[in-house]
Amino acid sequence: MMFKKKMVMSLIAVLAILSVATMTQAAPPAGFDDNEIRIGQWGPQTGPAAPWGSVARGSKLLFDVVNEEGGINGRKIKYFIRDDMYNPAQTVAVVKELVERQGMFAFVGGVGAACGMAVKDYLAANKIPWVGPSAADQDFVNPLNPYLFAVYPLYRDEANILTKYIVDKLKMKKIGILYQNDAYGKDGLEGAKERLATYKMGLVAEIPVEPTEKDLASQILRLKNSGAEAVLMYVNPTAAVIALKTSANVGFKPQWVSANTLSDYPLMFKITGGLFEGVITGAFGEIPDSKNPLMVKYRDAAKRLNPQERWGTFYYAGILFADPIVEALKKAGRNLSADAVMKALNSIKDYQTIGPKITWTEKQHQGTDSVMIQKCGPNASYIQLQGWTSNDLATWKK
Amino acid sequence: MVEGLAIGACYGLFATAVVIIYKTSEVVNFAQGEMAMFSAFVAFHILSVYEWPFWAAFVITMIFSILLGILIEYLFLRPAKHPSILGLIVITLGVEMLLMGLAGWKWGAEQKYFSLPLNPSVTYEPVKGMIVTNWAIAVFAVTAFIMLFLYVFFKYSKLGIAMRATQQNKHAAKIMGIRTERVFSFAWGFSSLIGAVAGMFFASRATLDPAFMMEPFMRAFAAAYWGGLMSIPGVIIGGGLMGLIENFFGYYWPHWKPIVAFIVIILVLCVRPSGLFAKHFVKKV
Amino acid sequence: MDHFKCENLSISFGGLKAVNNVSFRVEKNSIFSIIGPNGSGKTTIFNMISGIYKPDQGRILCESQDLVGFTPDRIARRGIARTFQNIELFSNATVMDNLLLGRHIHMQTGIFTGACLWGRRSKAAREEILNREIVERIIDFLDLQSVRDQYVANLPYGKRKLVELGRALALEPNILLLDEPSAGMNTEEKQDLNIWIKDIQIDFKVTILLIEHDMNMIMGISDRIYAMSQGEKIVEGTPREVQSHPEVIRAYLGEEHPC
Ligand SMILES: Nc1ncnc2c1ncn2[C@@H]1O[C@H](COP(=O)(O)OP(=O)(O)OP(=O)(O)O)[C@@H](O)[C@H]1O
Ligand SMILES: [Mg+2]
Repeated sequence: MMFKKKMVMSLIAVLAILSVATMTQAAPPAGFDDNEIRIGQWGPQTGPAAPWGSVARGSKLLFDVVNEEGGINGRKIKYFIRDDMYNPAQTVAVVKELVERQGMFAFVGGVGAACGMAVKDYLAANKIPWVGPSAADQDFVNPLNPYLFAVYPLYRDEANILTKYIVDKLKMKKIGILYQNDAYGKDGLEGAKERLATYKMGLVAEIPVEPTEKDLASQILRLKNSGAEAVLMYVNPTAAVIALKTSANVGFKPQWVSANTLSDYPLMFKITGGLFEGVITGAFGEIPDSKNPLMVKYRDAAKRLNPQERWGTFYYAGILFADPIVEALKKAGRNLSADAVMKALNSIKDYQTIGPKITWTEKQHQGTDSVMIQKCGPNASYIQLQGWTSNDLATWKK
Repeated sequence: MVEGLAIGACYGLFATAVVIIYKTSEVVNFAQGEMAMFSAFVAFHILSVYEWPFWAAFVITMIFSILLGILIEYLFLRPAKHPSILGLIVITLGVEMLLMGLAGWKWGAEQKYFSLPLNPSVTYEPVKGMIVTNWAIAVFAVTAFIMLFLYVFFKYSKLGIAMRATQQNKHAAKIMGIRTERVFSFAWGFSSLIGAVAGMFFASRATLDPAFMMEPFMRAFAAAYWGGLMSIPGVIIGGGLMGLIENFFGYYWPHWKPIVAFIVIILVLCVRPSGLFAKHFVKKV
Repeated sequence: MDHFKCENLSISFGGLKAVNNVSFRVEKNSIFSIIGPNGSGKTTIFNMISGIYKPDQGRILCESQDLVGFTPDRIARRGIARTFQNIELFSNATVMDNLLLGRHIHMQTGIFTGACLWGRRSKAAREEILNREIVERIIDFLDLQSVRDQYVANLPYGKRKLVELGRALALEPNILLLDEPSAGMNTEEKQDLNIWIKDIQIDFKVTILLIEHDMNMIMGISDRIYAMSQGEKIVEGTPREVQSHPEVIRAYLGEEHPC
């Protein structure tokens, strides 16, 4: 009798454990129904990287416009922004919450390579497409991740294009580089070297910088003494400020050329006290006051729907990162399914809105190799130096 | 070279702030950097929001920084009854988080532009190839002034002597009628002030944001360590040395620059392990 | 009005009653000694008087003012100085500096003004001169001339005890608490100390509370003795009365070498 009772008890216990286990393994709720499609994005709304939080709000503008125009095939987009404070652990938490509680059809944007890396496999495991990460990382696209669709041009391609511009257009031969000692900076370094090799040239100085370093006096002196006419900057905004201030102090005035990460001129102009004027940068989007009809349309929409937001590069980057999912959803039709959207995404070809032309195939999810080249003019104005330029040396295309 | 020395002096100055607190209360104040950050933000606020002249902002910031130091000591350190060293360190870490959070909430996390009224384009070249910037001159002048003041203060003033006495033997100091709590308040206030000055120097070289003092704090701590954490001239020399070594590496082997300071710390630890925590023993009276 | 009085002092440390219901009264300008075996709570009484510990119960009255709850620095300013059993000196300072620190409470000038910053005739300078005079007198008195400018850390134990005594005197106290001043001294030094303590009582007009293990000394110089054991009173009285008390003999004097 006793024995039997024990058996029953343990059986119940085992069943309970099993049912909990199966419950957690149950598929997350669907990402859409007849009326809405749920799309999410993480991004730093607070914390040290908060200035980049505008990307997620830019995507919101796009979805608001889409909804205003009647949605997609009878469904509205329901958009979720979650603050991860640029902390990968937080990113995991907020993404899980969205996927497992709300049910997500897709994610768009998402600032920060490390944050993206933290959830990339989770999203793939749940078969949720992720379109337009707001970070360039070789590891996102190589090897191919079937659920990740990259819009952001790779830093290596960009450095390649910028270096070509320095040599061909600016006619400068002595080029130095100040690069952040991580994947971002090293990609820039690689790209510059790759391009210079085709001219049988080399860099006159390669100076690494730790992301947190606050004193660059010796590094700048080294650049100065190397005689560099142009210096590529693959660093974060703070390091760029220190570099520019220090250079001004020691009377070093090269042509600074930087990655698109510093392409928010009003911000850079302000925090360098105007020293940013004259800096050339790559860009993944049109200039803010572009006459491109789509730019005009979104600019007006922003004034109407989100008037307190500054119309800055990173804000409308949120539009161009998220654009392709809208296109794919339209193509997939009323009879919506994950497979249909995946198929549509994989067949996007030469699709262009306010960013570079995007092409994805089953085998290649790096959408573009193109950037624009722009220059910071007086009062943080944008001067376009060169339109969309692709990298003829891009190795990943072959 | 000179720039390296100036940066070193800045580390030294900041390290002095760390040492003043360590000397009196045997606490390594991990909130030091954030206290300086917060004060620098106050200066920034007065300059950019109220648009007051620099000297006014400077004076107000100095007063603010003293009050901030006193307040932190009073609110967070003093109520801790018979705390362990670890407990005190955890308290200062908590204060660090708190200040960072407050600054982020009040001023946002974006980098801010901060400059001192020093014309960057005016530089001097007393010897060929040796460029001296206004910034460096200001750092040297301020550091020298503060050192001189500290020297006179600790040697001759009643409070300075009381501080030294408290540092050497808290119980005995109390029994001598020294108000040790006042000594602690003062140490924190004064340390906060020196930190604020150093913080403004750092901010004017880089940008101002809630996390901007973390890195300088690490270096200043290293400098303080070299100086043995106790002697103020020692940490100034430590700071200067570090500035020079870092600059040397930054020029010839930039890859190594960020870590030389810490390699040297480890070397110091090996050679003179009686560095940081050797001074601690529980005293029974 | 009583000069100095303790009433029902008690304190425990986590269950251990270190001092239990101790009361005594000390006449002005007398020598009042506390004796008892190791761990009987003598030092703890001193620690309560000087404000380092706060008694769980009881009062400490000095000229009818209750000192319980005062911080140690306030008690010092109230005119109560002390020495420690384990010597608490500023060991990285010279003998002179230590004694000058004893003058801290008598320095009037503001916290920032140092004597050097003012003229020779300024108030600060005059004060400085006065302080130095007093300290020189103490140095002469305790025969510390030869070690005047030496660092305390380098001095032998017996000398350090004297420096601590000198520093306490520099406060110009009304009441002086001496915790085993003769410990670690040789016979010769003890004899000198004996004389000095007597001189302090008479010349400096100071009330002295003394903890000692040296019975010859105690019996020779005390006006009254308070004998205790395990935190409680055994007997209080003149040296003669205490000496003959059976319990004292058993608990204390009976042991061969009570240190
Ligand atoms: N801070 C403290 N924490 C815990 N226990 C204490 C503390 N101070 C004193 N005691 C205890 O109180 C008791 C009395 O100690 P006290 O130092 O007063 O003895 P004493 O009479 O001075 O002895 P001795 O002759 O050895 O100096 C001892 O048991 C001691 O361990
Ligand atoms: Mg004792």
